[in-house]
This record gives sequence, C-alpha cells and structure tokens, in this order.
Amino acid sequence: MNIQTSISIRRVSENLVAILITAITTGILILLREALSAPVIALLYLLPVLLSTTRWGLGPGIMASVCAFLGFNYFFITPYYSLTVHHGQDVLALIVFLSVAIVISQLVGRIRSSLANAQDREHEVSRLYTLSTALVALRGMDDVSKRLATDLQTSLRATACQVVVDPGASISAGIAVSPEDTTLTIPPDHVFPLQTDRGTLGEIRLWLDRPALSPTDERLLRAFAGQGALALERAMLVQAETKARILEESDRLKSALLSSVSHVLRTPLVTIKAAATSLSSGEVSWDSPARAELLAALEEETDRLNDLVSNLLNMSRIEAGALKLDREWNILSEIVDSAVGHLKHITQTHQLEVDVPDDLPQVQVDPLLMEQVFTNLLDNSIKYTPSDTKIRIRATALPGDMIQVEVANEGPPVADEDLEGIFDRFHRVTSADRIPGTGLGLSICKGIIEAHGGHIRAENLPAGFAFIFTLPGKVTKIASDMPVE
Amino acid sequence: MSNQPHILVIDDEPQILRAVRTILIEKGYRITTARTGEEGLTLAAATLPDVVILDLGLPDMDGLEVCARLRAWTQIPIIVLSVRDSEQDKTTVLDRGADDYLTKPFGIEELLARIRVALRHLSQSKGAVDPVIMVGEVTIDLSRHVVTRGGTEVKLTATEFSLLAYLAANAGRVLTHRSILEHVWGWAEGDNVEYLRVYMMQLRKKLEDDPRHPRFLLTEPGVGYRFITPN
Repeated sequence: MNIQTSISIRRVSENLVAILITAITTGILILLREALSAPVIALLYLLPVLLSTTRWGLGPGIMASVCAFLGFNYFFITPYYSLTVHHGQDVLALIVFLSVAIVISQLVGRIRSSLANAQDREHEVSRLYTLSTALVALRGMDDVSKRLATDLQTSLRATACQVVVDPGASISAGIAVSPEDTTLTIPPDHVFPLQTDRGTLGEIRLWLDRPALSPTDERLLRAFAGQGALALERAMLVQAETKARILEESDRLKSALLSSVSHVLRTPLVTIKAAATSLSSGEVSWDSPARAELLAALEEETDRLNDLVSNLLNMSRIEAGALKLDREWNILSEIVDSAVGHLKHITQTHQLEVDVPDDLPQVQVDPLLMEQVFTNLLDNSIKYTPSDTKIRIRATALPGDMIQVEVANEGPPVADEDLEGIFDRFHRVTSADRIPGTGLGLSICKGIIEAHGGHIRAENLPAGFAFIFTLPGKVTKIASDMPVE
Repeated sequence: MSNQPHILVIDDEPQILRAVRTILIEKGYRITTARTGEEGLTLAAATLPDVVILDLGLPDMDGLEVCARLRAWTQIPIIVLSVRDSEQDKTTVLDRGADDYLTKPFGIEELLARIRVALRHLSQSKGAVDPVIMVGEVTIDLSRHVVTRGGTEVKLTATEFSLLAYLAANAGRVLTHRSILEHVWGWAEGDNVEYLRVYMMQLRKKLEDDPRHPRFLLTEPGVGYRFITPN
C-alpha cells in the first residue's frame, strides 16, 4: 500500500468521525429538545464543529459545520423533521449559524495548521542543527558523506540515500550509502547536487517509497545539501592542507637525507676511482702486493655502496609504510652467521663473539631484512667503539616463544637522554664530522624489528653498551624417521 | 667456432650488456644481446642459444612473462638477473621454470659459475647423471645410497638422504624451498620451510667441517638452498 492511498483513507475516516460526532450531539440535543431554546441549541452545535476542527483541521471542521447546520434545521427548526423553514427569523438564525460555524472552523483550522507548520519548522531546524553540529566535528570526507547519507535517509524517510562525492582533481572520490550495505540496482528517484562556490562536489541520490518529495522535505533536502557541501569542502581543504604538510615534511627529510647521503656515498666512490685509475695507469706492476690490495678495496667499496643503497631503499620504504616482508621460518643463527660472514672485512678490527645457539626456536622473519639489522648493528658497534674491543652477539629464548637478541660492545656509555632517540632518523650521538655515517642505520633497524612485531632498545651495560631486541619465535618439532639401511 | 656455447643476454641496461659481453667473449662464449623482452624472445627463437641470461626488470614486459613464453617451447637454461630486494619475484620465476638467478650487483666468477652449471645440466639432460658425487672428503653415491665422510660411512635418515641426493643431483643450481619440499617430502602446498631448515642443519652437522659456516650446503636467503662442488 502506498502512502497516497493511506493518506486519503485517513482523510475519509476523519470526515466520517466528524459526521459521527455531530450525529451524537444531535441525538443528545433531541433528548433535551424540550428543555433548551433554539439559540442555546445553536451554541451547543458549535461544540462538534470546534472539536472536529481542532482535532483534524479545516476539512472535517467544515464537514461538521454543514452536518450541524442540517441537523439544526431538520430537528430543531419548526417544522421539525423537514428542511423547510417557515419563519424568516429562523432562516436568519440558520445562515448566521452556518457562517459562524464555518468561520470558527476556518480560524481554528488556520491556527492548527500554523501550529503544525511551526512544529515542522522547529523539527527541521533542530535536525539541521544536529546535522551541522555533527558535521563540524567530522574531519574526513568519508565521515561527512556517511553522516549526511544517514541523516538524510532518516529525516526524509527515504528507502535509501547515497552520497556520491567526486570533486575531481587529486582528491579521491567516495560513496556513502544509508542504510549501509544496501545494494542499489535501480536508478534513484531523486538526485540533488552538492554545490559550493567552487563548483559541484558530488550529488545526493534518493530512493523513495512515494512518487515525490513534499515541499517541506524538499526544503529540508536543500538545507541538508547546503550544510553537507560546506562540510565536504572544509574536509577537502583540510585534506589538501595535510597533504601539503606531509609533502613539505618529506621534502625536508629528503634534503636532509641527500646532504647526509651524498657525503657517505662519495667516500667509497673516491676509493673506487683511485683504485681503478691506478690499476689502469700501469703504475702498479702486475706482481706488486699493492695490486691485490687495490683490487680488494674495489670489491669492498662496491659492496659498501650496495649496502648503502639497500639501506636507503629500506629507509624510504619504512618511511612510506611500504616495507614488504617476505616472512618465512628461519634459524636465527644462520642469519647471524651470514651477516657476520659478509662483514668479515670490517669486523677484523674487533673481537667478535657469536653466541647464538642453532637450536633456538625458529623465527618467522624476512631473512634479508634481518641480516640488514645485524649488519647495521654490527657496523654501528664497530664504528663507535675502540679497536680490539669485544663485540658480542647473543641470543636467548624467553618464555612465551620469544627470542631476545643482544648486540653488546665495550664502548663508552651513551647519555641516558640519548638512549631513546638513538633510533631516530639522523640522530647522531657523536658530532657528525668525526665518524662518517648516514644517521639512518639504527632507525632502519627499529623499522624492520617493529615491522616483525618485535621491539628494540638501547641499554648501557656495567662495562659497555648494548642493543637489545626481541622477536616472536616458534619451536619446531620434527617427527623422527627411519635411518637408511 | 660454432661449437662455442652460445649465450643470449636480455637486459635493457647498456652498461651491463657491455660488461657482460666483453667478459663472456673474452671467456670464449658466443654472445647475442637483446634490449627488450620482445626482441629477446625473437632472438631466442631465431638463434637457439645454449643459455639465456634474463633481466627481470625489462621495460616492455615482465621477466616472468618472458620466462613463461620461453618455457612454452624450449627447456634451454634460463638464468635470471634481479635486484636484491625482490626475493618474491626470484622465487616465483624460479618456481615457474627459470633455472637459476644472480643478484645484481654480481661478481663475474659467480656469473661464469652459473653459466658453467647451466651448460653442464644441459649436457647432463642429454646423458646420464654421474652417480657418485665427491665434495671435499664427502662422497655421495646416489645409486648405492651410501654417503661417506673421510672414508667412514655417515648414517643418514631416509629423508636426510633424499634431501642430500636431490641437492647433489642438482649441484651448482639453486633449488627453491617449494621445489625441495615438493620433491623430497611430496608437499606441493603449504609453508613448511621450518622442517626443511631443521633437516638442512642436521645434514650440515653430519657432513660439514664447520656446520655454522658451510662450504657446500649453502643457504640462499629467502629463496632456497644450493649444493656447490669445488669445480
């Protein structure tokens, strides 16, 4: 059943009730006919008219007036039980009665409808107020369009409401639907643009259970759309501003990176260039030990450059939140041994002690990134501690299948306030020009460890300094099988 | 001249092509180079090389696709070149038919070793595999299922032996975790690398002089394992 028919059924029943009330009044008045004079009866007949008008408005009021007029004429004006009137006075009384009844019902009806209007307006204003206060608090375009869709759908009693935001340019488009997860297959019944001074931001689509919106609903929709468009525009500006700020921040980061990196990149390049030119100049004889030395330098420095490039790449990925982990179960000792093997040429200055049992629970890690962690921690430890001191890598199993790794050295302690910041980008505890470095190594370690669900910290030891980190592990049980015959 | 092994190098970077070409010609190989995947595929069909060296980062087409289109008609060995941080790509391309990989930047001895292994496997696929493999003081007799170290027999479990046998039969070549798990355990699906790790460790303890610094049972981080023989 649609709303249109239900409304007309209501109208008809209201009129019927008005007629019924007048009939009841007539019945009571007939019983009292002998006791009451005609003018009193006329006054009493105004009661059902008033009642109908105040309850149901102008239409039923007029209906009651006409019925009262007929009843008054038929039952109470002589001759009784006929609509004919003998006395001119009675005609006048009847005409006055009808006019009074109709005027009353009109007056009361108007008051009533203006009251209803005022209530509607108040309702509208309060909804609009609720919406606009809610919208002010929302920052994201998605939140705004979602709220707008929900409010519109309930306020307009629509079957569904969709808010499509597509301002074009660099801002991504979004769609909000209310009720949520409604699938909309048919075209909308009503479309309204979301317009601001800057142009159209999108549109509101409505699906209705009635043919059209009432003027009130239309007005509400327009007001909602205006508020919504403003809120969307504000959200867009906020988004653009945030973007600009992020760009500026990353710009600053990049220039800091560039200045730090160009220096660090140049050092191996100087060595490579020098070695290559001296080898090709023919100054170094074929059998001279210097030749082997230069060749070794070439190889080591290219490896170092390669390491630097990987570090930079990983840094930018951590920075962009795009670090991709190729996780698989690994034996930690294998990763440590491999890192130590690759660093042989720089660990010779120190005494390296590896205490990582191969029967520890396995760790689900990206082996290359974890190797990078060990490389960076060892590189750092070697750079900041005196030659011939000891560097110890130790791993232990903690309760709850956790592995703790400690890379300890015998270097000078780090001031307590630096222990936390040591993992920040470009944080250099020692003055930058004394020891070369990008200031990225430790922050990359932190990024990688945390991406693995672990935690890293720096700690002063009674004699030295240590990096300590944890990783989630897993004990592997292998079913025994038969030996070969 | 024509009995020199013929190598097709598909790479879009001229510097790499130049270096690789210079060195390989010096080493007595015949070289054809291609700058795009399309050109590489055409040249492969036209010149029928003995080995293809394929860069994964080509401008016109995915290295995976080049590999798949080569494998559609030929079994010639394919060695892929990739950068360090794309283990997943490497593993995928190896599982889909490439024979081996090299991480850029690579040493020339590594490249030459890969080419030698590829050529050896090419000739082996035409003849029989040597049933006895010797590495250091370890001898592996694939047909008799006997492994000795310094003359004394080493007791291996059935799984350990089939793992070792699979690696040794593919000496010099990288084997991905998936291919090992499938071949030795028969597990085509699932992530069971942790079992493999434990068995490799046991093998190393039984066969390597220093299990923590293996000489022939090598780990290829993120990819798989490689059994290398001194020559």
